[in-house]
Amino acid sequence: MSGISQICRKELARVFKDKKMIFSVFLLPVLIMVGIMTLVSSLSTSAQNDVEAHNSIVYVQNAPDGFEDFLRSSDKECEIIQMSDRAGTEDMIRDGNADLLIEFPEGFMDAVTEYKAGDSVPQIKTYYNPSEDYSRAAYDAISSGVLENYRETLLADRVEDMAGLTVFTVNSDNPDMVIQDEEKAGGKILGMMLPYFITILLFAGAMGIGTDMVAGEKERGTMASLLVSPIKRSSIVLGKVFSLMIISGVSSVVYVGAMVAFMPQMMGGMGGSDLGVNLSLNPAQIGMLAALLIAIAFMYSAIIVLVSVFAKTVKEANSYIMPVYMLVLVLGITTMFTTKTPQEWLYAVPIYNTSLTLQGILTQEVTMMQYGLTLGVTLVLGAVLIGVIAKAFESEKVMSI
Amino acid sequence: MIEIKGMTKIYKLNKKQMKESKTTNPVKTAVNNLSLTAKPGEIYGLLGPNGAGKTTTLRCISTIIKPTKGEIFVAGHEVQKEPEKVREKIGFLTGDIKLDPQFSVDYMFDFFGRLHNIPEDRLKSRKEELFTYFGIKDFSHKKIKELSTGMAQKAAIAVCLVHDPEIVIFDEPTNGLDVITARSVTDYLKKLRDDGKLVIISTHVMSEAEKICDRIGIIIDGCKVAEGNLEQILHDTNTEDLEDAFFELYRDIKGGK
Repeated sequence: MSGISQICRKELARVFKDKKMIFSVFLLPVLIMVGIMTLVSSLSTSAQNDVEAHNSIVYVQNAPDGFEDFLRSSDKECEIIQMSDRAGTEDMIRDGNADLLIEFPEGFMDAVTEYKAGDSVPQIKTYYNPSEDYSRAAYDAISSGVLENYRETLLADRVEDMAGLTVFTVNSDNPDMVIQDEEKAGGKILGMMLPYFITILLFAGAMGIGTDMVAGEKERGTMASLLVSPIKRSSIVLGKVFSLMIISGVSSVVYVGAMVAFMPQMMGGMGGSDLGVNLSLNPAQIGMLAALLIAIAFMYSAIIVLVSVFAKTVKEANSYIMPVYMLVLVLGITTMFTTKTPQEWLYAVPIYNTSLTLQGILTQEVTMMQYGLTLGVTLVLGAVLIGVIAKAFESEKVMSI
Repeated sequence: MIEIKGMTKIYKLNKKQMKESKTTNPVKTAVNNLSLTAKPGEIYGLLGPNGAGKTTTLRCISTIIKPTKGEIFVAGHEVQKEPEKVREKIGFLTGDIKLDPQFSVDYMFDFFGRLHNIPEDRLKSRKEELFTYFGIKDFSHKKIKELSTGMAQKAAIAVCLVHDPEIVIFDEPTNGLDVITARSVTDYLKKLRDDGKLVIISTHVMSEAEKICDRIGIIIDGCKVAEGNLEQILHDTNTEDLEDAFFELYRDIKGGK
């Protein structure tokens, strides 16, 4: 036992006694993450503001009298130009120099006022460029907004009782239409995001340090001195895996903490208040989460050390670990988009089941059976891997000594 | 006491290794049916050219690798049956065993001391003794990576002796060291012998073997071809010095080439 703790302490000292290591393992990823997210959200906010501040340039053709005033009354900043050259206007829309073209048929007003049942209904055509933000915004505001109002105005001239045409409305005055359990709703959004982030962070936090742990010692020639000390091979393995668990645990706590703390900055333009971050967990949930996260950290650490054992150099270990990391990423993503209730046997699939169960705990939908299965599979897999690593430590070939 | 009984070590070569050593034979016999006995209070030297199997033999004794055939008893424990017991008794050092460059000499000394379950006060006195002897005190707080080759080697020697082992196994003890450091190392080996320890070293330097070894085993191509103290070997080969003796034996094996 003391061998395990000595090895573990040394590995922790390697990270925590080195300021550069602390910075690169714990702080740098947070700084990069917060920095990028803040930049992206501020850029998207300013782009949005820019679109809102832009004065739409609208070309009109054959506009009836009074339409320009009607348009101005709902969009004051709008610049209205009579179209003279059709092809030229289309080019301008294509190039982003004009935002919208509204084409009225000739004699539009006459066709409207002199309408008799059976006549063909006049059609207004609008043209826009969806790949230009300004154009798309003008289309949304005018084509489906202003023109709809204009239609109703003209209709009111023709029909005396508008309400008689409406027949019924849906939810025009019903603020209580959403009926849901607030806790579960918060859990739904968090349950989608958190398992994904946590599993990835647990893995990513351990990855850099873990690949160095055995392959690095081999490369530096320091492994043999451990192998001739009077402790069991399994003690060396466990010491290393436990220290890696602690490192990955600490780093994921730092990352998740930073994410929650900087959520407003990072989600600036995306409506951070709707994310349900104020989710409250009950003690049972917290206990289940904690136990599962420790088990996951244990399994991930074992996987990483295993890869590190079979690699001759740190570089090799880093390239071996990449596919595994990708797998963890992909399996995490799949749980974000599952809508069906997962089949029972899926809870026996390692790695995937941890994402499912984390999600299930947050949405309070996981059964004790599913939770137990996940926890068991995770721990057993971790233990089996430890066994394989200890076996590999005995092999001269693998240890390349 | 080290007792090797009929030890054979066969390596399986992969394609790349076969190409490197220009052979089509997928197995390489590094050590072939080697037996020897080394007793406490002597420095036993394994002498042989590069690739003769010296290092392989020492690594088998140290439990780092396992012999393919045969038995090795170290202080009464068989290396395959009780490897942890064997490792308690030995201090093993080679040129390619290095200390973690991130840590200070102090830290590594304490770390290995604790792995050997040495009580704190004993650890302190060992440190005082060894650091003083090897002149490490001045740089003991420095990280290994900041040390010169000689300093790092001295530090490694001190660390491998932290538990005051009964048996010291040294692969090429003076390799890469300057004359002064080399002398202080060989002097310390003699001191260990005088304290009643068993020291077993490997070397390809004839003068070193002549000067410090009480008994010498000459290994060529994995086989022990001669054993004894210097006089015996010179007498048996009818030669004047160890180098001549070695070439005499070498010619016998290689057929006059």
